[in-house]
Amino acid sequence: MTNNIKEENNNSSIMMKPNKTRDIIEKIVETIFFLCAMVSVVSVIAIIVFVFYKGVAPFVGNNAYSFFDFISGVKWDPNHNEYGVFYMIVASILATIGAIIIGVPIGLLTAVFIAEIAPKSLVNIVKPGVELLAGIPSVIYGAFGLGVIVPLINKISPEPQGQSLLAVICVLTIMILPTIISLSEATLKAVPNSYREASLGLGASKTQTIFRAVIPAAKSGILSATVLGIGRAIGETMAVMMIAGNPIGGIPMSIWDKVRPLTTNIAMEMSYASGRHQEMLFATGVILFAFIMIVNITLIKITSKAGEK
Amino acid sequence: MNSRKLKDSILQGLIYFSAAFTIFILTVIIGFILYKGVPGINLHFLTRQWEEKTTFVRVDKVAEPKDSDKEGYVSSLDITLKKDKEGNLYISKIGSDSSLDSAVDMLGQSFKVKSDDKLSKVDSNDLSELSVADAVKMINQSQDNMRLKITRPGGGIVPMLVSTIYIILLSLVIAAPIGILSAIYLNEYAKPGKILNAIRFAIQNLAGIPSIIYGLFGMLIFVQYFGMGYSILAGALTLSIILLPTIISTTEEALKAIPQTYRESSLGLGATKLQTNYKIILPNALPGILVAIILSIGRIVGESAALMLTAGTVAQIPTAITGNEAGAATLTIKLYMLMKEEGDIATACSIAIILLALIIVLNITSKVITRRFLKKQGI
Repeated sequence: MTNNIKEENNNSSIMMKPNKTRDIIEKIVETIFFLCAMVSVVSVIAIIVFVFYKGVAPFVGNNAYSFFDFISGVKWDPNHNEYGVFYMIVASILATIGAIIIGVPIGLLTAVFIAEIAPKSLVNIVKPGVELLAGIPSVIYGAFGLGVIVPLINKISPEPQGQSLLAVICVLTIMILPTIISLSEATLKAVPNSYREASLGLGASKTQTIFRAVIPAAKSGILSATVLGIGRAIGETMAVMMIAGNPIGGIPMSIWDKVRPLTTNIAMEMSYASGRHQEMLFATGVILFAFIMIVNITLIKITSKAGEK
Repeated sequence: MNSRKLKDSILQGLIYFSAAFTIFILTVIIGFILYKGVPGINLHFLTRQWEEKTTFVRVDKVAEPKDSDKEGYVSSLDITLKKDKEGNLYISKIGSDSSLDSAVDMLGQSFKVKSDDKLSKVDSNDLSELSVADAVKMINQSQDNMRLKITRPGGGIVPMLVSTIYIILLSLVIAAPIGILSAIYLNEYAKPGKILNAIRFAIQNLAGIPSIIYGLFGMLIFVQYFGMGYSILAGALTLSIILLPTIISTTEEALKAIPQTYRESSLGLGATKLQTNYKIILPNALPGILVAIILSIGRIVGESAALMLTAGTVAQIPTAITGNEAGAATLTIKLYMLMKEEGDIATACSIAIILLALIIVLNITSKVITRRFLKKQGI
């Protein structure tokens, strides 16, 4: 395609008078477009470089903090120079796993409802609902968590407070639902109708068709929806900060325990931290970043594989 | 055969349950917010400043004091005073002859006193303990040029609304051109190869980075390194990076939908590539670009973690784009502060209603644009 256009341009410049100014302007404009496109690349590199640069600083040079103590420590007490993030990593992973275990099946089945079962009148109610759910700012989920879920948990919990791993899981489940639903729905809709017809033709019931033919065919899309959900859950900050309890130490032993995921550790203390303390928060950011990178690359791999198919 | 039926109905039940659960959750969230927040929404909430502000002003008498039948009427200033529920004296009405419109503050700058402002002192006489009638007498008896202590009531969300709008405008001014031009480059100019792959990889990664990491970056670079302080510019620059993936991918979708023949006919007629992009591609992609911008506004309105670390948490109307005067709490940040620091669920939910209303309007607008656009294309 591009070659054709080039040829055309060449031909026209032979027939007409060669127009140098025009060619120069074209070149300049293309360069501007290119530079704009490079802003994204530069941003990603800058974010990685600066966050890592700040985050690695406390572990090198004189008076370095042991990286092993950092990654395996279970107490975060900046006043006593104790920086352990292991219990935060555990909290982040547990909260994410919990949200995925509950959220993915519910989200997938809701997507099935929208894409396969529901009559149009119901779709017109459910779908805008899901879109609204996707647009609600995370602080509102936090307010809902603090105003409704935490008091409810407080009533049944053996612990004195309602802020807990369970509250975090509940809110994260709700927050990843719209992601899971809309992406799964799109992939379910993309499954060719011939699959359904073939399955029904072989005598399978409608439900069997959905679970044995349509969902397996939409596997890779559902998988990438799940991975996106993981990314959203692990990176969520504000809503979680309001309902997690954020203790200064201790690995969560039950769903009633207070937790302190990586993200909230950064957001809570960043505004007043300085020196070593601030660098340690950046180091927490590096750990979070490492998780996100794994999620991102998995996602890119899945989608490019699906693209090849 | 029976077990198959049983299985089917269980699975179907689960499907219905899931869909009902999703809608139930949405209803509960909205119900909770409306229940807690609606009582707090009124005209004052929408039109007032957040913080109370006290000013001393000087005014001249406009007429010789005389007795009036009307309760609380101060003839020397042509105003009417009343007491509110807490027993504070406030100005309920300012007459057309009143000099309060042209009052000056202690720095000599004009300060327009408005109705609803509280009045607590005349010269050095405290009015707060007096009854309305005694206060009227006190004012009428004071010297011709008197000093009033005026307190403008707070409790409104105007600063947060204005800050949010400023940040939306600033972010879009920065991010929209870069994003749109990037999309045009990716779709119209770029040749497949390493550079294109790198750009796409970067955009995909940007989309996945959580906003707290952007906040860290923005704080380090814009707030500290460039010395902008907690400011709307630092917030907007950080948000611009967050918005890029959304704007680029939505614009690209729109560009991809433009038939190849448009480009070929334009180029065939002798137009240059730039002319084609400017006169053919851009106008046709306009609805898509609009949707991209609306989606971005939605993202900005809902953003909180990154803004907390870059734009600060002060409820004020920013008067500069960097430095101390530029710190600004958006609606979401204020909601968080109210909820977490002050435990004021009712006001937080009132703000949440405003946010929800904004989100719903944005959702509907983008839908309408998409639908019109699709109709025009005859799809």
